[in-house]
Amino acid sequence: MTSYALFLGCTIPARQPHYELSARKALPKLGIDLVDLDNMTCCAPPPLQSIDLETSLAIAAYNICLAEEADLNIVTLCTGCFESLAMANTMLKENNELRERINKILSNAGKEFKGSKEVKHYLQVLMKDVGLEQVKSQVTNPLNNLKIAAFSGCHLLRPSKLLRFDDPERPRIFDDLIEALGSESIWYRNKLKCCGGLLRGYADDLALQIAKEKIVNAKKAGADCISTLCPFCFVALDMGQLQIRAKFKEEYDMPVLHYAELLALALGIEPKELALESHKIKTDKLLQKIV
Amino acid sequence: MTYEEKSVSSKFSDEIRHRLGGETIAFCYQCGTCASSCPVAKVTDKYNPREIIKLSLLGARKEIVAGDTIWLCCSCYNCQERCPQEVEIADVIYTLRNIAIQEGNVPDIYVAFAEGISNEGRIVPVSKFAEKKREEYGLPPIKPANMDALRKILQATSFSKIQFKKGEAQ
Amino acid sequence: MSEVKVGVFLSDCGKQLSKILDFDAIIDFVKNVSGVTYVARGSEFWRGQGLQTIVDSIKTGKVNRVVVAESVSKISEITITKAVEEAGLNASLVDVVDLKDHCAWPHRDAPSEATEKAKAMILASIERVKLLEPIEKLEFPTLKSVLVIGGGIAGMQTAEDLADMGFEVHLVEKESFLGGLAARAVRFFPTDDCAICIQSPTSDLKTVTNTSRKCVYRSGFSEIPNINILTNSKVVKVEGVPGNYKVTIEKKPRYVNEKKCVGCDLCTTVCPIEVPDEYNAKLKTRKAIYINTPLVYPPVYVIDAETCKFNECAKCVEVCPTNAIELNQKTEQITLDVGSIIVATGFKEYDPSVIKEYHYGEYPDVITHLELARMIDGFGPTNGEIIRPSDRKPAKRIVFVQCVGSRDRRWNPYCSSICCMISLKHATLIKEAFPETDITICYIDIRATGREHEYYYEKAREMGINFVKGRPAEISHDPEEKVLTVDVEDELLGRLLELKADLVVLAPAMVPAEGTKELAEILGLELDQDGFFKEYNPKLRPTETKRRGIFLCGGATFPKDAPTTSLHAHSAAVKTAKFLTKGKITKYQKTAVVNEDYCGDCEFCPVTCPYGAITLVPKDEGHFVAQVSDLLCEGCGVCVGTCPVGAIELRHLRPNQISAQMKALLSVNGTSKPLILAISCSECGNAAVDSSGMAMMQYPANIRVLKVPCAGLLQVQQIFEAFKTGAQGVMVIGCKPDGCHYEVGSEKAKRKVDLAKILLKEYGIEPERLEMFNMVYIEGDKFAETARKMTERIEKLGLLQLISS
Repeated sequence: MTSYALFLGCTIPARQPHYELSARKALPKLGIDLVDLDNMTCCAPPPLQSIDLETSLAIAAYNICLAEEADLNIVTLCTGCFESLAMANTMLKENNELRERINKILSNAGKEFKGSKEVKHYLQVLMKDVGLEQVKSQVTNPLNNLKIAAFSGCHLLRPSKLLRFDDPERPRIFDDLIEALGSESIWYRNKLKCCGGLLRGYADDLALQIAKEKIVNAKKAGADCISTLCPFCFVALDMGQLQIRAKFKEEYDMPVLHYAELLALALGIEPKELALESHKIKTDKLLQKIV
Repeated sequence: MTYEEKSVSSKFSDEIRHRLGGETIAFCYQCGTCASSCPVAKVTDKYNPREIIKLSLLGARKEIVAGDTIWLCCSCYNCQERCPQEVEIADVIYTLRNIAIQEGNVPDIYVAFAEGISNEGRIVPVSKFAEKKREEYGLPPIKPANMDALRKILQATSFSKIQFKKGEAQ
Repeated sequence: MSEVKVGVFLSDCGKQLSKILDFDAIIDFVKNVSGVTYVARGSEFWRGQGLQTIVDSIKTGKVNRVVVAESVSKISEITITKAVEEAGLNASLVDVVDLKDHCAWPHRDAPSEATEKAKAMILASIERVKLLEPIEKLEFPTLKSVLVIGGGIAGMQTAEDLADMGFEVHLVEKESFLGGLAARAVRFFPTDDCAICIQSPTSDLKTVTNTSRKCVYRSGFSEIPNINILTNSKVVKVEGVPGNYKVTIEKKPRYVNEKKCVGCDLCTTVCPIEVPDEYNAKLKTRKAIYINTPLVYPPVYVIDAETCKFNECAKCVEVCPTNAIELNQKTEQITLDVGSIIVATGFKEYDPSVIKEYHYGEYPDVITHLELARMIDGFGPTNGEIIRPSDRKPAKRIVFVQCVGSRDRRWNPYCSSICCMISLKHATLIKEAFPETDITICYIDIRATGREHEYYYEKAREMGINFVKGRPAEISHDPEEKVLTVDVEDELLGRLLELKADLVVLAPAMVPAEGTKELAEILGLELDQDGFFKEYNPKLRPTETKRRGIFLCGGATFPKDAPTTSLHAHSAAVKTAKFLTKGKITKYQKTAVVNEDYCGDCEFCPVTCPYGAITLVPKDEGHFVAQVSDLLCEGCGVCVGTCPVGAIELRHLRPNQISAQMKALLSVNGTSKPLILAISCSECGNAAVDSSGMAMMQYPANIRVLKVPCAGLLQVQQIFEAFKTGAQGVMVIGCKPDGCHYEVGSEKAKRKVDLAKILLKEYGIEPERLEMFNMVYIEGDKFAETARKMTERIEKLGLLQLISS
């Protein structure tokens, strides 16, 4: 077993039990031990970066310090958390001046960022620690008939200079992991473009227009579902469809599933254990296709 | 147009360049790669990252800081990724937002985020209902954030100096 | 050695100087200096009667050392040295001291102080000439032959010039055919004439007319008697010295005898192997035996060794009517002796596939300009039709994208300078041939800066070519609609456009040719920050390199259009001819010399020498000593400053001469201010001293200037010596670090000064008494101001207390 400090963030535990459940059930099956650390705070994502970049770096660094103290690398489910923490981790590791500046702030809380740990997204863990072949071999319920529109979300890939996750213009990791489950990861227009999720709450109309385009493109390309990694993308595309229906009078009925959910299903975990009822767009028809 | 609006100055871009996130703004040579990469600019003509950079470079501080365009960035980093001059555009926009917020232009939703951080250490509050649901699903109880440590950190940064009030934004 | 007899010749510049300086007092002083046998005063000594006085005094045996007080601004050093040599005295036994610009003019407000300084200056000069030794004139023979590397338009033109002038020229081209990039470019802007058109040889060949231009294949280029063309060849080793290089060339087999092939094309009709034709952008295939186009030189087929089955097949051998095919040819090593080398390796298109958002290499309908040029070529793979490669249907909508990988800090930060014009050229050529084609150029800035280039841009607009100011974010391909979409903002409208295109043409950055780095290593040449060959000086010596005898031309130094390449090529030819034409290099042995007994083979000097003039040679029992090449040494003395044991000296400025000058300069003060020694280099540093004097900028006479060839010569102990000899402060004045005449000297001097400051502090001496300054000629005001400020600074510090040792 490889142990990781699980960084859950704010949205998943508060709003998306289906994501947390599927991850907590699927990852240990592949030899990943998830450790819940005490005291973790918000990751300091874009909304907080918008308020103050320095504060955000300090908060992100504080959380990394907790993992350093526990001698564990961090794994995140949420791509937003991944971005905030991984970005801070790289910046502080590579920029001495900045590290000193942030450590001065952290010293008030009795912490010091040392730069001894990694921040990983769980896809990286699946790819590097588990391995594609191992994932494939553990699949008991291959999702053979599915055409999946992979949507990694912006913050898994960009800014690539700091995140170093995958090629930002030609990513493969997510698609390979989808295909490892037996499904087809399909091309659709503007696949790498944003879902508009971060505009929700400030400019909802624009956010919906952007989300709508993503759903339309996935639909046009024949997707059975969209697969996400980020809870904000999930809300933008899942809940978003109800709002699109209200606003544009257009119905798409495009299920949106987190990759962890697809993984759990492929590993043979029962759908009823996964809180799939938390989805706004129902997944029943999709499940029928799998079985 | 006022005199300020008709003239230009490098004062604002100097201010930006000396702040965290704003260091690269002056590399911009206005090629427009950011604008054509931007998913928001695609759906509204109210937002154009190239114009924001240009206005900032030429010193339109008031227009930028008090205006609402900087809040329309969706932080997707497409522009930053492709900028041939390596202008960290998304970061520059964070910097502009930081300046705006320090000057009292705080959109309501950011007031909510700030309250979440200050009160619970998380931007999304956990409802009683959610906690009950978690129990039903067999999920472990949410571990509280270390508010003592967090407050000390916030106290040491400019966060603590910002006035967060709803309905204040211009 | 015969008795030293110093003649001192004092010019009062038509009595202008004697208005300030007390010449009678100076003469009285000089007469009493030991070794002085003759003193003369005159109006000027650098020409006419004055110069004759010097000559006569030498001829009559009155003097055998010469000190002349004369303004250097009158090129006096050159004329006096020449006259002295003609009078039979060794030219190095002369010293010129500038009483005008270094003394009378800058101190005109304090005549008596100036007079005392003048005495010190002349004394220093006398003491130096007494120690000078005769310096020999050396001759090094040079060969009248040249190696030109690269057979594009630069290499061909420079080769043609030199061959025409009578030099033996070896032209080495790594490809199988001459012409380089130009041959593929088809037509040149702004004249739209054929790219293969070159200036034809103007030699006296009867077969060649004297017209100014010819197609390369009928130019007679190859028939110039003293030109030797080596295709399929590359330089693998270069040894020797300027004027005498031994070059090793590796010539890959062509498998076709150049002297027998008649170009009948029968071989390709029987060759069974078909591969994509790289030369033609893979828009067609070619056989394993092939020729690029019918219009190439040499008009001889070549076998592609990677795909040919050789004796397993040998169908071409059977069919060849002249038995030209020789499958048993082997790689040859050729050695050449040449006097000089010209690098004309050019540039190439950058591979734009790294800019992934443009999908070059993935979408077949996204191509580069060089690939488009092959379509425009009537002899090309599409016979002049502009098609989309994916389905070979005519391209009706074409979008050009500028600055692909250039002006891009992620890939190549510089502007490749010719791509805007290439796009305008291709757009107008296509529009002329197919007026219904819709062409859009997406640009950041249109750079049409050359002669007639703006008219070209104007013409493109008139023809209806669309211009969108904006750099596209992305090129996407819709597999259903089979069309490309270019996402771009037109900034002038502030509008986001989605341009539909059948064909997208990228204008990639132009980068150094393949193998540039390796060749630079072989030749010992430097590359610039962008990877191009670095010239000696971009303004003054644009075709020369730090390695004497090796020259550069064409795109090897930066992307160039054809006219500029031509200019550069002809210029390189002139410089090369100038270097070789006398058949020898003549120079004074003003070089460094190693005392082998002290040399500790530490490798400091060979590494530091900016000219590669010093090598370590075995002496005895594994002991190595440094050896200076008199040919390569430029006499700067940077090695002297570097040697930790003082084992290396300049013949023309030995340490005892510096000591003697220091002592003399600091022997008389005459002012109430603390004496400051200003050690200046003879280049920019001294020029700043000159110009401050010429402009009569005033600074106090306590400043005493000691001139050395380069500030890099300075040793830390010399700085201490200055203090011990009586200097209260020391200024070191060198060129700007990036403008040092000897590359590294100024920077080395700075390090010495920094080190000396640390040591001074250790000894309890204020480090502020020592400072380094960098100045150029136009900064005379800066010198005067610095001298004044330094004086104030030292005055504040008070008298220097040295513990007597």
